[in-house]
Amino acid sequence: MKFAFMCKEPGSRRGKVAVIGAGPSGLAATGYLSCQGYEVDVYEKLPYAGGPMMFAMPSYKVSFDGVIEGVEDLRDRFSVNFLFRTKVFKNNQNRADVGDEFVERNMPLEDIIENYNAILISTGAWHPNTIEDFKNIRNAFTAFEYLYFWRLYEEGFLFNQFIKGRRAVVVGEDLLVVESVKKMLEQGFEEIYILHSSNINEVPMGMYWIRSFLNEGVSFIQYTKIAKIVTEQGIAKALEFVKYEPQSSHHISRSIECDLVIASLGSSPTPPVIDGFNGIEIDSSGRIVVDRYFRTKRDKVYASGSVVLGAIYRLGKSFGDGLNAAKNIDVYLQKRRYM
Amino acid sequence: MDRERRVLIEAGFRRLIDYDRCIGCGVCEEVCSFLHEGTPLIKLYRIIDGIEKPISCFHCTKAPCVAVCPTNALGYDGQGAVTITTTRCIGCTSCIAACPFGIPELLPIGHTIKCDLCKKLRAQNLEPGCIATCPSNAIIWGSPEKITRSMREKALKRISNAYTLLASQ
Repeated sequence: MKFAFMCKEPGSRRGKVAVIGAGPSGLAATGYLSCQGYEVDVYEKLPYAGGPMMFAMPSYKVSFDGVIEGVEDLRDRFSVNFLFRTKVFKNNQNRADVGDEFVERNMPLEDIIENYNAILISTGAWHPNTIEDFKNIRNAFTAFEYLYFWRLYEEGFLFNQFIKGRRAVVVGEDLLVVESVKKMLEQGFEEIYILHSSNINEVPMGMYWIRSFLNEGVSFIQYTKIAKIVTEQGIAKALEFVKYEPQSSHHISRSIECDLVIASLGSSPTPPVIDGFNGIEIDSSGRIVVDRYFRTKRDKVYASGSVVLGAIYRLGKSFGDGLNAAKNIDVYLQKRRYM
Repeated sequence: MDRERRVLIEAGFRRLIDYDRCIGCGVCEEVCSFLHEGTPLIKLYRIIDGIEKPISCFHCTKAPCVAVCPTNALGYDGQGAVTITTTRCIGCTSCIAACPFGIPELLPIGHTIKCDLCKKLRAQNLEPGCIATCPSNAIIWGSPEKITRSMREKALKRISNAYTLLASQ
């Protein structure tokens, strides 16, 4: 996977650009900008570039070697500077996100804005929505964390084997359910229950996956509401839920014994500020507000990818967004030179 | 065999979308759209709910669109890509009717467009955009021998996996 696919060698533009977050959007932008000749510094809190491509997608989907090759190509052929294990955040603020365990250095956002000619924020959505009780339970995760921990184990960052068992319950219906359930099937879970709040036909994963999981013996339970997770010494033993019928007041309380609980309820954007900062506006769902040129209201600061649109599950969309944001940054920097 | 076709078979570059490996992420479509001013020439379609796959020109060596084009707007270039010279195109849509995959597209402006395997990038000795950026290496690019080999190796892997599974039962 090449990121600098548009040129053989760097162009003649001059200027320094910072890209915050080396996910699909940030890397696409880095490829475009370094092709034009800009000096690009990429800040990434994880130890490798690639974002969710590297840390949340299973190996049969993405060629990890291909992503690493693309990143090395950026580094060697275009002298892109990758600053790994570095978290960028506004001074005196912080927020705990997935992946913070790798952070060794903190970089204030203010310094970056001051030191570069343009900044692209593409920090993605690394804050999976969870269920309150999950925090203290050792075998309950969000789907995002489940996939992430698996990747860490595969990459040798985690040494203990992941929870295995017979029964698993998946709550929620977003697209990470597909990958999590596939992983569980691969790990030999015998009974997998997918609980969702609506009708089975409204589940975003689509009929193809529903049918294929039904064939594998996965059960879908529709119209449910989680009541309680039964725990014993910090380990979930069973999940209690209410099953109701639409257009009727009839409900049944049920309980499923389980060895693993997964919640897949979407992810929230993780901008490098908590609330608005000097023109970088954050909306009520945590996204950075940009216009159609990917500009924030703060001069020279741009944003693209999931941090703007909310968790995008489509790699292509993030990638395309990054390319278009980079093009706009290039136009902006060129205009400024002639003014 | 006419001279033109021999040249392109000898030049020997082919693109193949390996639909087994494709994850339907849409990077190819977005990159293509970026490279072609907002008109993607490789496009994903949702044929089954939940599964999306891309389709683009197959660059046939005996392309029906080239055969039917009345103004010779369609032809083969040096590397075997079927390309269109828009100035010659009269927008008759006979290529659309002839193409077994429905690839050529008539623009409102009055001429047809289709994938040219990123002519501009190839002129600089670069790979076409969709091939260079595919995250799952599902779009293969190379000589017919390379493509045959890669497909056969994949099939063999599947067969030998099935054998090991059988043996372990």
